[in-house]
Amino acid sequence: MELFFDRAAVSRGGPDIRVSGRFGPGINLVSGRVGSGKSTVAAMAAGLLAPGEGAVIRQGIRSSMISFQFPEWQVTGNTLREEIKSWGADEGEILLRAGLVGREGDDPLSLCRGELKRLVLSCIFGKAWDLLILDEPFGALDCSGKREICRWIEARRSSIVVLCTHEQRFLPRTDFLWEFQGHDLVCRGTMPAALGDWELAPPFVKALLSRGIVPHNISEDDLAEAACRIHG
Amino acid sequence: MIRISGLRHGVLDILSLLVPAGNTAVIGPNGSGKTTLLRLLAGMEEPVQGSITIGGEPGGTLTVGWVHEFPGRNALFSRVRDEIASPLQFRHLECDEILKKVEEISGLLGISPLLDREPESLSGGEQVLVALATAMVSNPGILVLDEWDSHLDAHTTAVLQEHLHRTGVRWKVQCTQDMDLAASADTVLFLSGGQVLACGPPGEVFSEHLGSCWYPPSWRWREWSSSLTGQR
Repeated sequence: MELFFDRAAVSRGGPDIRVSGRFGPGINLVSGRVGSGKSTVAAMAAGLLAPGEGAVIRQGIRSSMISFQFPEWQVTGNTLREEIKSWGADEGEILLRAGLVGREGDDPLSLCRGELKRLVLSCIFGKAWDLLILDEPFGALDCSGKREICRWIEARRSSIVVLCTHEQRFLPRTDFLWEFQGHDLVCRGTMPAALGDWELAPPFVKALLSRGIVPHNISEDDLAEAACRIHG
Repeated sequence: MIRISGLRHGVLDILSLLVPAGNTAVIGPNGSGKTTLLRLLAGMEEPVQGSITIGGEPGGTLTVGWVHEFPGRNALFSRVRDEIASPLQFRHLECDEILKKVEEISGLLGISPLLDREPESLSGGEQVLVALATAMVSNPGILVLDEWDSHLDAHTTAVLQEHLHRTGVRWKVQCTQDMDLAASADTVLFLSGGQVLACGPPGEVFSEHLGSCWYPPSWRWREWSSSLTGQR
């Protein structure tokens, strides 16, 4: 199972965004500044945007889903009940997972953004997908919500997970690190070897590395464990 | 001073609250009433019960700059330049003056290259920058930012915070899920279930949340680092 970007390039009114490489099973973190092209990569991976040059080739992928940066783009129901039904999901299970029990009659667009994000993510994570593309899934979630989503993502390691985010504090244990150099997406490699090449690494990761301490990975637990190594 | 008395509106239930002028961060779990409070401060909603005054004037009487949590929803025009100019055009300012102010604010926020783009073609982060420029172009008395940073990377957020500090806007109220950003405010207002859990300087508010995910990560990492330095 593989998602292959064969010298794919696309222009969206600015400089060309270029991607080459293979995304395999595991958690692939795509890191980059605002406007670098993370959402464009997500859209290409999902097949929603055709590259102007090159190709995006799926091999062995039977099902895929994208979580958009703005969750309202994904809403079709007039109530939470209708919305959950549209996903073919169990209403009680999703409401519980999203922390929205008792709100089934509400209009999804009456939810605050964090609640709407939880609803959509709960529906998405309620099913198994071979390819799961998450475009800024942490946006607007409170810190406990971010921790929860990290756990959900980590449970999908057997799928190809493409996680496009600028989040630096709450991240899942990651397998492959990709990073934009300008508007070219490059693979930095696997964890933890890739950490040394991560230009936009969180400040604490950089601080640890500068002291010769290499975290095993980038989750909160990994960084806390590395901090404990500081203290012996 | 922002003065709130006997407020009951939606989920909000605030008996009495005084917030000094300056930069205020509103934090709290998803659904705690942060956006509702911001909408009241901006005069977009009238309190069902109770009152809000800002600098002694009723809420809604000041010129308001507002950045929505869904920045794309507010865009009215098909060119970024026209979008930023719109608050001034609606006031029938002279074209030369509008042009000058649009160029100034775009330069300040580093988005001059985007002026001829369509808002729809921008990344989520770029849309926020355009919304911020549109909010600031008319020199508002109060600037209300509703989770504007959730679409921005840490570097861009830090740069924009610097710009915001220099704007001279007397009241800046921003709701955020970034506790490091909240920690840089003059005042932190912590809402939970529509009520005020705490309000005061960041050190005072966050000292009650040491060890929880609400404690600013950079503070935690700084404490780890300083204890490392102490060990050396």
